Amino acid sequence: MTGRRRLAVVTGASRGLGAAIARLLARERYDLLLTAREPRALQAIATELRGMGGCVATRSGDVADPRHRRAVAAAVRGRGRLDLLVNNASELGPAPLPPLVDYPLPALEHVLRVNAVAPLALVQELADPLAAGRGLVVNITSDAASGAYPGWGGYGASKAALELLSRTLARELAGRRISVVSVDPGDLRTAMHQAAFPGQDISDRPTPEVTIPFWGWLLHQDRTAISGQRFRAQADRWELPA
Amino acid sequence: MIAARSAPEVAAVRAADRTPEARGVARDRVRLLASSATGDADRSFADLPELLEPGDLLVVNESATLAASLPAEGPFGRFRLHLSTRYGPDLWLAEPRWSGARPGPLPIPDGLRFRVAGVRATAVARFPGIPRLAFLRFDGDLEAAMARDGAPIRYGYFAEDAPLAAYQTVFATVPGSAEMPSAARPFTPRLVRRLVRRGIRFARVVLHAGVSSLEDGDDVTGAPPILPEPFEVPEATCRAIREVRGSCGRVIAVGTTVVRALESAFHGGEVRPSRGFTRRYVSPAQPVRSVDGLVTGWHAAGTTHLALLRGLAGEGIVRRSYARARELGYLWHEFGDSQLLLPGSGRPARGAGAYFALERPARARSAW
Repeated sequence: MTGRRRLAVVTGASRGLGAAIARLLARERYDLLLTAREPRALQAIATELRGMGGCVATRSGDVADPRHRRAVAAAVRGRGRLDLLVNNASELGPAPLPPLVDYPLPALEHVLRVNAVAPLALVQELADPLAAGRGLVVNITSDAASGAYPGWGGYGASKAALELLSRTLARELAGRRISVVSVDPGDLRTAMHQAAFPGQDISDRPTPEVTIPFWGWLLHQDRTAISGQRFRAQADRWELPA
Repeated sequence: MIAARSAPEVAAVRAADRTPEARGVARDRVRLLASSATGDADRSFADLPELLEPGDLLVVNESATLAASLPAEGPFGRFRLHLSTRYGPDLWLAEPRWSGARPGPLPIPDGLRFRVAGVRATAVARFPGIPRLAFLRFDGDLEAAMARDGAPIRYGYFAEDAPLAAYQTVFATVPGSAEMPSAARPFTPRLVRRLVRRGIRFARVVLHAGVSSLEDGDDVTGAPPILPEPFEVPEATCRAIREVRGSCGRVIAVGTTVVRALESAFHGGEVRPSRGFTRRYVSPAQPVRSVDGLVTGWHAAGTTHLALLRGLAGEGIVRRSYARARELGYLWHEFGDSQLLLPGSGRPARGAGAYFALERPARARSAW
């Protein structure tokens, strides 16, 4: 196969679901720009993925920080075209999860900034390269977005906001040939999930690799056909709109 | 589909180790056990028109079988690659095996490059929970490679080197199954004409069956018991089902793949146009709502097929009919004999006259 290598940006890529997605993308021959807050963990995954032969760049920082987002956008602009943006970095909020009536409001604002505002801000920053690449934006969501689970109100509200942003962006950006989907990966054995259940045994949850077949499927669908949809990676069917 | 864990009754069944034609039996003359709530009748598949009623609808799978078994060569030597499911233009889920009779796993780490029938392949990732299955990326024309060097997937119990045509059903038009959707194999053009003359209608779905050869030792705890498979239920089929329901006819699936496709498309109380990938598992815990009956083969103990049959017909009918088929010497597996399961027929009318007697109890049980 010849031709241009595709470029993907994955946020929160140093561990958990983000690392599993980055690994698959590297094997699928995407060049990668990976972000995470912790530089050492980010370097470790980048080193691992470079062993697969692709080009892997990193930018460490917090997606809630506008300077970090500008650095990501500057790196992408050098390539001109972006094929895939995975908004995976998420903030759980205070642990143990506080009920809304006691929720510290500065913490709630931070959760909303990381989980809803930052993914939108990255789409804004990267809209031109996404349009040039007929790109796909994947926003990682959660069943907490609609579950009204006690304790999950802050995180769930941020993901509910993200899902509405996704659906609206899908319509608004259709004319620029940018596609946007939400993906609920389901419960996974990750550091974030452990933080939500401090002291509990979460070894019954599957590792993030359980979602690999779903990503293999999603990445090969007609992007304009799936835009605006919400998928559950661990569901018993992944359905295309009629 | 999950294979049998060496259950005791497996030894007691007779496996079809050749095609019916090689046994001197026409495709549409394999044996057919017609099973209902009241009993089992030992018939021929050619009797199907008389066993159904005018107004019944047969839903068939149009998936055609691929020459999915390919010669391959890696750093450790020659092996066999069984393609299972196509995820994208160049991305397949596949099963590397030492041979048809000898499963893996083979020493194929992620990232390894090797050749499959002359086409370059790269291992992308393992299938979660089933390390014998791998996602592979191909650089080259795999369809041409299948046409040139491929053979139908064949397992140890099948002795005949039958051509790909022996693995196609009369309905096969959309290539994509690693393993033959075998329930429809006994249908012939002649039998289809007789069914149509009798007033039986046909409708179509597609479900491309992947490899079914999960073996002892696969870690399926926590993993879905069925691999994701591509399916499509078209609008015309939904319309036909609505019409048949409206006129009290029965919807009869030809094959467990058809049941899984229709169940995957069942939303809000009816079958709706639907396409995508499904790993929908049908069992007594998740019973069938979309069909009234099933034409199928004879399945090994412990398989998801058998769980589906119990989800459709209930434990009692399945147990009774399987015992009867063993007594009668029916042949098991994809080239064996058949069963017509109509669990709702033969029941006494329940106080509301003949019209409601045709309504299945399963519909009354469902949520809507």
